[in-house]
Amino acid sequence: MSLERKDEHDHKGWMESRELTPVESVYLTVLVWLDRRLRIVDYLEILEDLYYKVNMQMPKSHTEQYNLDNKFWYWYPLYALGSFSTVAYVVAAISGALLGFYYAPAAAAADGSPTIAYDSVLLIMGQLNLGYFLRSVHRWAAQIMVAAVFLHMLRVYFTGAYKEPRELNWLIGIVLISLTLVFGYTGYLLPWSQLSFWAGQIGVEMSLSIPLIGEWVAQLMFGGFTLSQATLQRMYILHVFFLPFITTAIIAVHIGIVWMQGIAEPH
Amino acid sequence: MSDNDNDDVRTDGSGTGIVSPDDETPAWSERKERTQGLSRLTYEYFERARREDQDLRQQSDYVERDVLAFPAWPHEMMRNIALTSFFVGMILFVSATLPPEMPNPANSSVTPAIILPDWYLYWSFGLLKLGPLNPDLSILGGSKLMADRTYGVLANVVVVGFVAIVPFLNKGSARRPVEQPFWAAVGMSGVIFSLTIAALSIKNLVPMDSHLLFDLTFLVPIVSATITYAVLKTMREGYMFDLNRRYYRLRPPK
Repeated sequence: MSLERKDEHDHKGWMESRELTPVESVYLTVLVWLDRRLRIVDYLEILEDLYYKVNMQMPKSHTEQYNLDNKFWYWYPLYALGSFSTVAYVVAAISGALLGFYYAPAAAAADGSPTIAYDSVLLIMGQLNLGYFLRSVHRWAAQIMVAAVFLHMLRVYFTGAYKEPRELNWLIGIVLISLTLVFGYTGYLLPWSQLSFWAGQIGVEMSLSIPLIGEWVAQLMFGGFTLSQATLQRMYILHVFFLPFITTAIIAVHIGIVWMQGIAEPH
Repeated sequence: MSDNDNDDVRTDGSGTGIVSPDDETPAWSERKERTQGLSRLTYEYFERARREDQDLRQQSDYVERDVLAFPAWPHEMMRNIALTSFFVGMILFVSATLPPEMPNPANSSVTPAIILPDWYLYWSFGLLKLGPLNPDLSILGGSKLMADRTYGVLANVVVVGFVAIVPFLNKGSARRPVEQPFWAAVGMSGVIFSLTIAALSIKNLVPMDSHLLFDLTFLVPIVSATITYAVLKTMREGYMFDLNRRYYRLRPPK
Protein backbone atom coordinates (compact mmCIF):
# COMPACT_ATOMS: atom_id res chain seq x y z
CA MET A 1 0.00 0.00 0.00
CA SER A 2 1.42 3.30 -1.03
CA LEU A 3 1.59 6.13 1.44
CA GLU A 4 1.34 8.61 -1.37
CA ARG A 5 -1.92 10.51 -1.43
CA LYS A 6 -4.32 9.39 -4.11
CA ASP A 7 -5.40 11.95 -6.65
CA GLU A 8 -9.10 11.17 -6.48
CA HIS A 9 -10.10 13.27 -9.41
CA ASP A 10 -7.12 12.22 -11.52
CA HIS A 11 -5.92 15.64 -12.62
CA LYS A 12 -2.75 14.00 -13.93
CA GLY A 13 -4.64 11.64 -16.17
CA TRP A 14 -6.81 14.47 -17.34
CA MET A 15 -3.75 16.56 -18.26
CA GLU A 16 -2.10 13.62 -20.06
CA SER A 17 -5.25 12.92 -22.01
CA ARG A 18 -5.07 16.37 -23.53
CA GLU A 19 -2.49 17.55 -25.97
CA LEU A 20 -0.90 20.45 -24.16
CA THR A 21 1.91 22.71 -25.28
CA PRO A 22 4.81 22.94 -22.81
CA VAL A 23 3.66 26.40 -21.74
CA GLU A 24 0.19 25.13 -21.10
CA SER A 25 1.30 22.08 -19.15
CA VAL A 26 3.65 24.14 -16.95
CA TYR A 27 0.92 26.66 -16.38
CA LEU A 28 -1.62 24.02 -15.56
CA THR A 29 0.77 22.15 -13.26
CA VAL A 30 1.44 25.30 -11.28
CA LEU A 31 -2.24 26.16 -11.21
CA VAL A 32 -3.25 22.70 -9.97
CA TRP A 33 -0.39 22.69 -7.46
CA LEU A 34 -1.46 26.03 -6.02
CA ASP A 35 -5.15 25.26 -6.14
CA ARG A 36 -4.75 21.98 -4.29
CA ARG A 37 -3.03 23.87 -1.48
CA LEU A 38 -4.74 27.24 -1.42
CA ARG A 39 -8.15 26.51 -2.93
CA ILE A 40 -7.85 29.47 -5.30
CA VAL A 41 -11.03 28.35 -6.94
CA ASP A 42 -13.03 29.55 -3.96
CA TYR A 43 -11.59 33.04 -4.21
CA LEU A 44 -12.04 33.15 -7.95
CA GLU A 45 -15.66 32.35 -7.42
CA ILE A 46 -15.96 35.37 -5.17
CA LEU A 47 -14.33 37.54 -7.84
CA GLU A 48 -16.67 36.09 -10.38
CA ASP A 49 -19.62 36.94 -8.16
CA LEU A 50 -18.34 40.49 -7.78
CA TYR A 51 -17.97 40.77 -11.53
CA TYR A 52 -21.57 39.76 -11.92
CA LYS A 53 -22.80 42.12 -9.30
CA VAL A 54 -21.00 45.04 -10.88
CA ASN A 55 -21.87 44.30 -14.48
CA MET A 56 -25.31 42.82 -14.39
CA GLN A 57 -28.63 43.99 -13.13
CA MET A 58 -29.77 43.15 -9.63
CA PRO A 59 -32.73 40.83 -9.31
CA LYS A 60 -36.06 42.46 -8.84
CA SER A 61 -36.77 43.46 -5.29
CA HIS A 62 -39.82 42.17 -3.50
CA THR A 63 -41.72 45.35 -4.22
CA GLU A 64 -40.88 45.28 -7.91
CA GLN A 65 -41.60 41.59 -8.27
CA TYR A 66 -45.10 41.83 -6.86
CA ASN A 67 -45.71 45.40 -7.99
CA LEU A 68 -46.43 46.48 -4.47
CA ASP A 69 -44.73 49.85 -4.25
CA ASN A 70 -48.05 51.66 -4.43
CA LYS A 71 -49.10 50.04 -1.15
CA PHE A 72 -48.85 52.31 1.85
CA TRP A 73 -47.82 49.51 4.24
CA TYR A 74 -44.50 49.05 2.57
CA TRP A 75 -42.77 51.50 4.89
CA TYR A 76 -39.40 50.70 3.45
CA PRO A 77 -37.22 53.20 5.35
CA LEU A 78 -38.48 51.71 8.59
CA TYR A 79 -36.67 48.55 7.63
CA ALA A 80 -33.34 50.30 8.27
CA LEU A 81 -34.00 51.01 11.95
CA GLY A 82 -32.21 47.87 13.13
CA SER A 83 -29.11 48.94 11.23
CA PHE A 84 -29.49 52.44 12.59
CA SER A 85 -29.43 51.21 16.17
CA THR A 86 -26.36 49.12 15.39
CA VAL A 87 -24.61 52.09 13.81
CA ALA A 88 -25.49 54.31 16.75
CA TYR A 89 -24.19 51.57 19.07
CA VAL A 90 -20.87 51.49 17.25
CA VAL A 91 -20.57 55.29 17.29
CA ALA A 92 -21.37 55.31 21.01
CA ALA A 93 -18.80 52.56 21.63
CA ILE A 94 -16.03 54.45 19.86
CA SER A 95 -16.77 57.81 21.45
CA GLY A 96 -17.25 56.10 24.82
CA ALA A 97 -13.87 54.42 24.60
CA LEU A 98 -12.32 57.84 23.94
CA LEU A 99 -14.22 59.40 26.85
CA GLY A 100 -12.94 56.58 29.04
CA PHE A 101 -9.41 57.99 28.77
CA TYR A 102 -10.45 61.09 30.69
CA TYR A 103 -13.27 60.03 32.99
CA ALA A 104 -12.62 58.97 36.59
CA PRO A 105 -15.41 57.21 38.55
CA ALA A 106 -14.27 58.44 41.92
CA ALA A 107 -15.39 60.07 45.18
CA ALA A 108 -19.14 60.13 44.81
CA ALA A 109 -20.08 62.67 47.45
CA ALA A 110 -23.74 63.59 47.76
CA ASP A 111 -23.39 66.87 49.66
CA GLY A 112 -23.46 69.20 46.69
CA SER A 113 -19.72 69.62 46.35
CA PRO A 114 -18.37 68.63 42.93
CA THR A 115 -16.80 65.20 42.97
CA ILE A 116 -13.87 63.82 41.00
CA ALA A 117 -16.30 62.16 38.61
CA TYR A 118 -18.23 65.39 38.07
CA ASP A 119 -15.00 67.37 37.73
CA SER A 120 -13.63 64.95 35.17
CA VAL A 121 -16.75 65.42 33.06
CA LEU A 122 -16.34 69.18 33.43
CA LEU A 123 -12.72 68.80 32.36
CA ILE A 124 -13.78 66.84 29.28
CA MET A 125 -16.32 69.52 28.41
CA GLY A 126 -14.20 72.56 29.26
CA GLN A 127 -10.50 71.82 28.88
CA LEU A 128 -10.09 68.91 26.53
CA ASN A 129 -9.71 69.67 22.84
CA LEU A 130 -12.92 68.56 21.15
CA GLY A 131 -14.03 67.10 24.48
CA TYR A 132 -17.35 68.92 24.41
CA PHE A 133 -18.00 67.49 20.97
CA LEU A 134 -16.92 64.02 22.04
CA ARG A 135 -19.33 63.94 24.97
CA SER A 136 -22.02 65.34 22.74
CA VAL A 137 -21.47 62.58 20.20
CA HIS A 138 -21.58 59.93 22.90
CA ARG A 139 -24.75 61.31 24.40
CA TRP A 140 -26.55 61.78 21.10
CA ALA A 141 -25.52 58.36 19.83
CA ALA A 142 -27.01 56.90 23.00
CA GLN A 143 -30.23 58.87 22.66
CA ILE A 144 -30.57 57.94 19.00
CA MET A 145 -29.82 54.31 19.68
CA VAL A 146 -32.59 54.11 22.27
CA ALA A 147 -35.04 55.86 19.93
CA ALA A 148 -34.08 53.65 16.99
CA VAL A 149 -34.40 50.50 19.09
CA PHE A 150 -37.90 51.49 20.21
CA LEU A 151 -38.98 52.29 16.67
CA HIS A 152 -37.36 49.10 15.40
CA MET A 153 -39.48 47.13 17.83
CA LEU A 154 -42.62 48.90 16.63
CA ARG A 155 -41.78 48.15 13.02
CA VAL A 156 -41.20 44.48 13.82
CA TYR A 157 -44.48 44.36 15.72
CA PHE A 158 -46.66 46.06 13.12
CA THR A 159 -45.28 44.10 10.17
CA GLY A 160 -45.63 40.82 12.04
CA ALA A 161 -41.93 40.11 11.70
CA TYR A 162 -41.83 38.35 15.06
CA LYS A 163 -43.94 35.50 13.72
CA GLU A 164 -43.23 31.90 13.24
CA PRO A 165 -39.59 31.16 12.63
CA ARG A 166 -38.54 34.35 14.40
CA GLU A 167 -39.93 34.07 17.95
CA LEU A 168 -36.47 33.45 19.36
CA ASN A 169 -35.13 36.63 17.81
CA TRP A 170 -38.06 38.57 19.27
CA LEU A 171 -37.15 37.30 22.74
CA ILE A 172 -33.48 38.16 22.16
CA GLY A 173 -34.71 41.58 21.03
CA ILE A 174 -36.58 42.04 24.32
CA VAL A 175 -33.34 41.26 26.16
CA LEU A 176 -31.48 43.71 23.92
CA ILE A 177 -33.93 46.57 24.41
CA SER A 178 -33.73 46.04 28.18
CA LEU A 179 -29.93 46.03 27.99
CA THR A 180 -30.09 49.25 25.98
CA LEU A 181 -32.16 50.89 28.68
CA VAL A 182 -29.82 49.64 31.41
CA PHE A 183 -26.92 50.94 29.33
CA GLY A 184 -28.54 54.35 29.20
CA TYR A 185 -29.39 54.29 32.89
CA THR A 186 -25.88 53.34 34.05
CA GLY A 187 -24.54 55.92 31.59
CA TYR A 188 -26.36 58.96 32.82
CA LEU A 189 -25.54 58.07 36.42
CA LEU A 190 -21.82 58.44 35.70
CA PRO A 191 -21.43 62.27 35.69
CA TRP A 192 -22.85 62.21 39.22
CA SER A 193 -24.97 65.27 38.66
CA GLN A 194 -28.38 65.99 40.16
CA LEU A 195 -30.09 63.95 37.42
CA SER A 196 -27.73 61.04 38.11
CA PHE A 197 -28.25 61.20 41.84
CA TRP A 198 -32.02 61.32 41.87
CA ALA A 199 -32.38 58.79 39.07
CA GLY A 200 -30.10 56.56 41.11
CA GLN A 201 -32.35 57.17 44.10
CA ILE A 202 -35.35 55.93 42.09
CA GLY A 203 -33.34 52.86 41.11
CA VAL A 204 -32.42 52.03 44.68
CA GLU A 205 -36.01 52.40 45.81
CA MET A 206 -37.24 50.25 42.95
CA SER A 207 -34.87 47.44 43.81
CA LEU A 208 -35.66 47.72 47.52
CA SER A 209 -39.35 47.30 46.76
CA ILE A 210 -38.86 43.91 45.09
CA PRO A 211 -40.30 41.31 47.45
CA LEU A 212 -37.90 38.89 49.20
CA ILE A 213 -34.73 39.64 47.22
CA GLY A 214 -35.02 43.45 47.20
CA GLU A 215 -32.25 44.17 49.66
CA TRP A 216 -29.95 41.70 48.03
CA VAL A 217 -30.57 43.31 44.61
CA ALA A 218 -29.92 46.77 46.02
CA GLN A 219 -26.66 45.58 47.56
CA LEU A 220 -25.60 43.90 44.33
CA MET A 221 -26.50 46.67 41.89
CA PHE A 222 -26.05 49.82 43.96
CA GLY A 223 -23.60 48.70 46.62
CA GLY A 224 -25.88 49.56 49.53
CA PHE A 225 -29.20 51.15 50.42
CA THR A 226 -28.00 54.71 49.91
CA LEU A 227 -26.03 56.15 47.02
CA SER A 228 -22.30 56.27 47.54
CA GLN A 229 -18.95 55.73 45.93
CA ALA A 230 -19.84 52.03 45.66
CA THR A 231 -22.86 52.92 43.51
CA LEU A 232 -20.82 55.01 41.11
CA GLN A 233 -18.16 52.34 40.86
CA ARG A 234 -20.68 49.60 40.12
CA MET A 235 -22.44 51.68 37.49
CA TYR A 236 -19.08 52.41 35.90
CA ILE A 237 -18.05 48.76 35.76
CA LEU A 238 -21.47 47.79 34.43
CA HIS A 239 -21.38 50.52 31.80
CA VAL A 240 -17.84 50.05 30.51
CA PHE A 241 -17.14 46.39 31.22
CA PHE A 242 -20.13 44.09 31.67
CA LEU A 243 -22.73 45.58 29.36
CA PRO A 244 -20.48 46.17 26.33
CA PHE A 245 -19.38 42.53 26.19
CA ILE A 246 -22.82 41.10 26.85
CA THR A 247 -24.65 43.49 24.53
CA THR A 248 -22.18 43.13 21.69
CA ALA A 249 -22.38 39.34 21.88
CA ILE A 250 -26.18 39.35 21.91
CA ILE A 251 -26.34 41.88 19.06
CA ALA A 252 -24.07 39.57 17.06
CA VAL A 253 -26.40 36.64 17.71
CA HIS A 254 -29.45 38.79 16.88
CA ILE A 255 -27.99 39.94 13.56
CA GLY A 256 -26.62 36.47 12.84
CA ILE A 257 -30.11 35.01 13.13
CA VAL A 258 -31.49 37.75 10.86
CA TRP A 259 -28.73 36.88 8.41
CA MET A 260 -29.61 33.20 8.47
CA GLN A 261 -33.35 33.67 8.30
CA GLY A 262 -33.43 36.66 5.98
CA ILE A 263 -35.42 39.83 6.42
CA ALA A 264 -39.06 39.13 7.16
CA GLU A 265 -41.04 40.91 4.49
CA PRO A 266 -44.69 41.67 4.88
CA HIS A 267 -46.19 39.17 2.47
CA MET B 1 -23.46 28.96 -11.38
CA SER B 2 -25.32 29.20 -14.62
CA ASP B 3 -27.72 26.35 -13.99
CA ASN B 4 -30.65 28.63 -13.30
CA ASP B 5 -30.04 31.09 -16.12
CA ASN B 6 -33.25 30.17 -17.86
CA ASP B 7 -35.42 29.98 -14.79
CA ASP B 8 -37.62 32.78 -13.60
CA VAL B 9 -36.10 35.43 -11.44
CA ARG B 10 -35.71 34.21 -7.90
CA THR B 11 -35.19 36.44 -4.92
CA ASP B 12 -35.20 33.79 -2.25
CA GLY B 13 -31.42 33.79 -1.86
CA SER B 14 -30.76 30.65 -3.91
CA GLY B 15 -28.58 30.91 -6.98
CA THR B 16 -27.01 34.20 -7.89
CA GLY B 17 -30.38 35.67 -8.78
CA ILE B 18 -28.62 37.84 -11.32
CA VAL B 19 -30.28 38.75 -14.57
CA SER B 20 -28.76 39.87 -17.82
CA PRO B 21 -30.01 43.27 -18.84
CA ASP B 22 -31.19 41.93 -22.18
CA ASP B 23 -30.96 38.88 -24.43
CA GLU B 24 -27.91 40.14 -26.35
CA THR B 25 -25.71 40.31 -23.29
CA PRO B 26 -23.80 37.02 -23.01
CA ALA B 27 -23.99 35.15 -19.73
CA TRP B 28 -20.81 34.60 -17.76
CA SER B 29 -20.40 31.00 -18.90
CA GLU B 30 -20.86 31.93 -22.54
CA ARG B 31 -18.28 34.66 -22.14
CA LYS B 32 -15.77 32.15 -20.80
CA GLU B 33 -16.52 29.36 -23.24
CA ARG B 34 -15.60 31.66 -26.09
CA THR B 35 -12.15 32.43 -24.71
CA GLN B 36 -8.97 30.84 -26.05
CA GLY B 37 -5.61 29.67 -24.74
CA LEU B 38 -4.68 29.78 -21.10
CA SER B 39 -7.81 31.49 -19.92
CA ARG B 40 -9.86 28.81 -21.65
CA LEU B 41 -7.73 26.20 -19.90
CA THR B 42 -8.25 27.92 -16.56
CA TYR B 43 -11.96 27.92 -17.20
CA GLU B 44 -12.02 24.21 -17.96
CA TYR B 45 -9.99 23.37 -14.89
CA PHE B 46 -12.19 25.40 -12.61
CA GLU B 47 -15.30 23.89 -14.08
CA ARG B 48 -13.85 20.49 -13.19
CA ALA B 49 -12.91 21.67 -9.71
CA ARG B 50 -16.35 23.02 -9.18
CA ARG B 51 -17.90 19.77 -10.28
CA GLU B 52 -15.71 17.94 -7.78
CA ASP B 53 -16.97 20.19 -5.02
CA GLN B 54 -20.48 19.56 -6.21
CA ASP B 55 -19.92 15.78 -6.06
CA LEU B 56 -18.49 16.01 -2.57
CA ARG B 57 -21.39 18.13 -1.48
CA GLN B 58 -23.89 15.64 -2.81
CA GLN B 59 -22.11 12.75 -1.14
CA SER B 60 -22.14 14.46 2.24
CA ASP B 61 -25.23 15.30 4.25
CA TYR B 62 -24.84 18.94 3.35
CA VAL B 63 -28.31 20.45 2.87
CA GLU B 64 -28.95 23.60 0.93
CA ARG B 65 -31.05 25.94 3.00
CA ASP B 66 -34.09 27.38 1.34
CA VAL B 67 -35.49 30.20 3.46
CA LEU B 68 -37.95 32.36 1.62
CA ALA B 69 -37.03 35.90 2.55
CA PHE B 70 -35.40 39.03 1.29
CA PRO B 71 -31.63 38.38 1.27
CA ALA B 72 -29.63 40.45 3.72
CA TRP B 73 -26.74 40.53 1.27
CA PRO B 74 -26.54 42.43 -0.97
CA HIS B 75 -30.03 43.91 -1.02
CA GLU B 76 -30.15 45.17 2.52
CA MET B 77 -26.47 45.94 2.87
CA MET B 78 -25.96 47.97 -0.28
CA ARG B 79 -28.57 50.39 0.92
CA ASN B 80 -27.45 50.19 4.51
CA ILE B 81 -23.88 51.21 3.72
CA ALA B 82 -25.12 54.37 2.04
CA LEU B 83 -27.53 55.04 4.87
CA THR B 84 -24.83 54.39 7.46
CA SER B 85 -22.59 57.13 6.17
CA PHE B 86 -25.51 59.51 6.08
CA PHE B 87 -26.58 58.47 9.54
CA VAL B 88 -23.17 58.83 11.18
CA GLY B 89 -22.89 62.24 9.56
CA MET B 90 -26.27 63.10 11.04
CA ILE B 91 -25.16 62.08 14.54
CA LEU B 92 -22.04 64.24 14.23
CA PHE B 93 -24.08 67.16 12.93
CA VAL B 94 -26.68 66.94 15.68
CA SER B 95 -24.05 66.65 18.40
CA ALA B 96 -22.18 69.64 17.04
CA THR B 97 -25.37 71.70 16.92
CA LEU B 98 -27.03 70.60 20.14
CA PRO B 99 -24.36 69.91 22.77
CA PRO B 100 -25.45 68.44 26.11
CA GLU B 101 -25.95 70.56 29.19
CA MET B 102 -24.50 69.72 32.56
CA PRO B 103 -26.80 69.75 35.61
CA ASN B 104 -25.54 70.73 39.07
CA PRO B 105 -23.46 68.21 40.99
CA ALA B 106 -25.27 65.55 43.00
CA ASN B 107 -26.75 66.93 46.18
CA SER B 108 -28.86 64.81 48.50
CA SER B 109 -30.00 67.81 50.57
CA VAL B 110 -31.51 69.69 47.61
CA THR B 111 -34.40 67.66 46.26
CA PRO B 112 -35.32 68.91 42.78
CA ALA B 113 -38.94 69.93 42.27
CA ILE B 114 -39.30 67.30 39.59
CA ILE B 115 -37.37 64.05 39.87
CA LEU B 116 -37.12 62.25 36.56
CA PRO B 117 -35.02 59.67 34.78
CA ASP B 118 -33.95 60.18 31.17
CA TRP B 119 -36.84 60.33 28.71
CA TYR B 120 -36.72 56.71 27.58
CA LEU B 121 -37.47 55.50 31.11
CA TYR B 122 -40.50 57.74 31.60
CA TRP B 123 -42.85 54.85 30.82
CA SER B 124 -41.22 52.72 33.49
CA PHE B 125 -41.28 55.59 35.95
CA GLY B 126 -44.95 56.18 35.16
CA LEU B 127 -45.72 52.54 35.97
CA LEU B 128 -44.39 53.18 39.47
CA LYS B 129 -47.19 55.70 39.93
CA LEU B 130 -50.00 53.16 39.53
CA GLY B 131 -50.59 53.06 43.29
CA PRO B 132 -54.30 53.98 42.98
CA LEU B 133 -54.87 50.75 41.02
CA ASN B 134 -53.35 48.61 43.76
CA PRO B 135 -56.40 46.71 45.07
CA ASP B 136 -57.61 46.95 48.67
CA LEU B 137 -58.68 43.53 49.80
CA SER B 138 -61.64 43.07 52.12
CA ILE B 139 -60.09 39.94 53.62
CA LEU B 140 -57.13 42.06 54.66
CA GLY B 141 -59.47 44.60 56.28
CA GLY B 142 -59.15 47.09 53.42
CA SER B 143 -55.37 47.21 53.55
CA LYS B 144 -53.35 46.77 50.42
CA LEU B 145 -52.01 43.42 49.37
CA MET B 146 -48.57 44.78 48.56
CA ALA B 147 -46.78 48.09 48.81
CA ASP B 148 -47.51 50.56 46.01
CA ARG B 149 -43.88 50.54 44.99
CA THR B 150 -43.85 46.76 44.71
CA TYR B 151 -47.01 47.00 42.65
CA GLY B 152 -45.29 49.47 40.30
CA VAL B 153 -42.23 47.27 39.86
CA LEU B 154 -44.52 44.32 39.17
CA ALA B 155 -46.31 46.40 36.51
CA ASN B 156 -42.98 46.69 34.70
CA VAL B 157 -42.55 42.93 34.73
CA VAL B 158 -46.11 42.45 33.46
CA VAL B 159 -45.66 44.90 30.56
CA VAL B 160 -42.32 43.44 29.43
CA GLY B 161 -43.65 39.92 29.91
CA PHE B 162 -46.67 40.59 27.75
CA VAL B 163 -44.52 42.04 24.97
CA ALA B 164 -42.28 38.98 25.19
CA ILE B 165 -45.06 36.41 24.75
CA VAL B 166 -46.73 38.13 21.80
CA PRO B 167 -45.25 35.69 19.21
CA PHE B 168 -46.69 32.79 21.18
CA LEU B 169 -50.16 34.33 21.30
CA ASN B 170 -50.39 35.66 17.76
CA LYS B 171 -49.89 32.76 15.38
CA GLY B 172 -50.49 32.46 11.67
CA SER B 173 -48.88 33.99 8.63
CA ALA B 174 -50.65 37.37 8.61
CA ARG B 175 -48.10 40.14 8.33
CA ARG B 176 -49.84 43.45 7.78
CA PRO B 177 -52.01 45.49 10.08
CA VAL B 178 -54.97 45.13 7.72
CA GLU B 179 -54.71 41.37 7.87
CA GLN B 180 -54.90 41.37 11.66
CA PRO B 181 -56.88 44.39 12.85
CA PHE B 182 -57.05 43.03 16.39
CA TRP B 183 -53.31 42.80 16.89
CA ALA B 184 -52.73 46.10 15.15
CA ALA B 185 -55.21 47.62 17.61
CA VAL B 186 -53.40 45.97 20.52
CA GLY B 187 -50.12 47.39 19.24
CA MET B 188 -51.65 50.82 18.78
CA SER B 189 -53.01 50.82 22.32
CA GLY B 190 -49.56 49.80 23.52
CA VAL B 191 -47.89 52.67 21.68
CA ILE B 192 -50.44 55.19 22.96
CA PHE B 193 -50.23 53.75 26.47
CA SER B 194 -46.46 54.16 26.50
CA LEU B 195 -47.00 57.82 25.64
CA THR B 196 -49.79 58.44 28.15
CA ILE B 197 -47.98 56.62 30.94
CA ALA B 198 -44.92 58.75 30.14
CA ALA B 199 -47.15 61.83 30.42
CA LEU B 200 -48.36 60.49 33.77
CA SER B 201 -44.78 60.23 35.02
CA ILE B 202 -44.27 63.96 34.32
CA LYS B 203 -47.69 64.93 35.68
CA ASN B 204 -46.20 67.94 37.48
CA LEU B 205 -45.40 69.36 34.05
CA VAL B 206 -48.71 68.51 32.38
CA PRO B 207 -51.24 71.34 32.74
CA MET B 208 -54.13 69.07 33.70
CA ASP B 209 -55.86 67.82 36.80
CA SER B 210 -53.83 64.78 37.88
CA HIS B 211 -56.93 62.61 38.45
CA LEU B 212 -58.15 63.38 34.95
CA LEU B 213 -54.67 62.63 33.62
CA PHE B 214 -54.69 59.31 35.47
CA ASP B 215 -58.03 58.35 33.93
CA LEU B 216 -56.99 59.49 30.46
CA THR B 217 -53.82 57.38 30.74
CA PHE B 218 -56.00 54.29 30.44
CA LEU B 219 -58.88 55.71 28.44
CA VAL B 220 -56.98 57.17 25.49
CA PRO B 221 -55.24 53.86 24.59
CA ILE B 222 -58.56 52.02 24.59
CA VAL B 223 -60.21 54.68 22.43
CA SER B 224 -57.33 54.68 19.94
CA ALA B 225 -57.35 50.88 19.82
CA THR B 226 -61.05 50.95 19.01
CA ILE B 227 -60.56 53.51 16.26
CA THR B 228 -57.64 51.55 14.80
CA TYR B 229 -59.70 48.37 14.82
CA ALA B 230 -62.66 50.03 13.14
CA VAL B 231 -60.56 51.68 10.44
CA LEU B 232 -58.61 48.54 9.61
CA LYS B 233 -61.73 46.39 9.57
CA THR B 234 -63.29 48.83 7.13
CA MET B 235 -60.25 48.91 4.88
CA ARG B 236 -59.81 45.19 4.97
CA GLU B 237 -62.30 43.90 2.41
CA GLY B 238 -61.40 45.92 -0.64
CA TYR B 239 -57.75 45.97 0.17
CA MET B 240 -57.32 42.27 0.71
CA PHE B 241 -59.23 41.42 -2.45
CA ASP B 242 -56.87 43.30 -4.75
CA LEU B 243 -53.81 42.12 -2.97
CA ASN B 244 -54.66 38.45 -2.84
CA ARG B 245 -55.71 38.34 -6.44
CA ARG B 246 -52.31 39.56 -7.55
CA TYR B 247 -50.45 37.51 -4.99
CA TYR B 248 -52.03 34.13 -5.68
CA ARG B 249 -51.72 34.52 -9.40
CA LEU B 250 -47.95 34.71 -9.00
CA ARG B 251 -47.58 32.13 -6.28
CA PRO B 252 -50.45 29.69 -6.04
CA PRO B 253 -51.00 28.24 -2.57
CA LYS B 254 -49.68 24.73 -2.03
